[in-house]
Amino acid sequence: MAEDLVLDTAIRDWVLIPLSVVMVLIGILRYFVSKLMRSYQSPDAKVVKEGQVVIRARSLRAAANFIPLKSFRARRAYFSNEENGLLYVPKGQVPNAQAQMFSDPNMAMDMMKKNLSMIIPQTLTFAWVNFFFSGFVAAKIPFPLTQRFRSMLQNGIDLSTVDVSYVSSRSWYFLNLFGLRGLFSLILGEENATDDTQRMMQMSGFGFDPTKSLSAEKDSLDIVQHEWALPKFEQCYINSLPAQEGYSLLFPLFS
Amino acid sequence: MAGHEDSGASKKKTADSSNDLPTFNAENLQNNMKIIYYSRTFLSIIGGVIAGILGYTGLTGFVFYFLIMAITSLGLAAKAKFSIHSYFDCWNRLLLDGFLGGLLSYVLFWTFAYDIVHIF
Repeated sequence: MAEDLVLDTAIRDWVLIPLSVVMVLIGILRYFVSKLMRSYQSPDAKVVKEGQVVIRARSLRAAANFIPLKSFRARRAYFSNEENGLLYVPKGQVPNAQAQMFSDPNMAMDMMKKNLSMIIPQTLTFAWVNFFFSGFVAAKIPFPLTQRFRSMLQNGIDLSTVDVSYVSSRSWYFLNLFGLRGLFSLILGEENATDDTQRMMQMSGFGFDPTKSLSAEKDSLDIVQHEWALPKFEQCYINSLPAQEGYSLLFPLFS
Repeated sequence: MAGHEDSGASKKKTADSSNDLPTFNAENLQNNMKIIYYSRTFLSIIGGVIAGILGYTGLTGFVFYFLIMAITSLGLAAKAKFSIHSYFDCWNRLLLDGFLGGLLSYVLFWTFAYDIVHIF
């Protein structure tokens, strides 16, 4: 059962290497095409404004411990004040923004374009592989698998006594599909169109974000406990100075 | 892969030792995480090719993968001069982040090299 098959060198030359090379090239092509086709929609002024307000509130929350208590409270009231605070969104306006974002034709087109640009090359390559490269053993995977994987990995090969490690070219295609993601992230810079679930989340999040994130920011700002970290700095600095007589007179202490 | 040489982007630390408020420069932290990711991906590809050429099969190959990942962690820790806390926020990030992410690339290149060298 575990005898070694001798495979034709022509399989290596004409199946393994061309398939990998084609997949790499298609990935690169898809990256450049998606870059060219990306239509830059000019952002809505209101959305940008809300985004900047959220960023400001977030910085305040992150650096809250570096400013005195009164200043922090003043800033927090500015944000979350009930009448004219920046983060306070009256309930009536909430569904409006959502509905508009959703039915925005530009955004829907963009998402569809991205989806298509990802699905079509995969489908075409898969069909090409199936048409040309079926019915023979393409590669041997170096680790043994159980018999249950046989139907998945060996679907072109109709002998049932061949070791499961010998796989057809369809499984070589899938192996390439998953394994080349790492290579793409290396040669194409940052994470590119092969990982578009992330971008889809970002795009759909943009429509819902402005209204929900404002109230979320307001809540988290209200939660913050302020503890001023700075007053201890001067004391520690003074303590770390050498104990000579002149020094203690020079630094007034703020308590 | 120009980020290889410069994994030591320093982050802001509070100059004070008594109050323990570590502050992190988020951009530098993210840059460091990206460098970890690139290093692991690159080394898993190279490790796959090596494993294929050396003819490892089965369990030995997977053990070799974990060995490569451990060497990566060690190398990154050495590059950060073992003062992990000034470059990352905790040990787990350096050791375990992206540990299994390179597995698929490793298997692909392992299969590729193994087939080219040993089967054909």
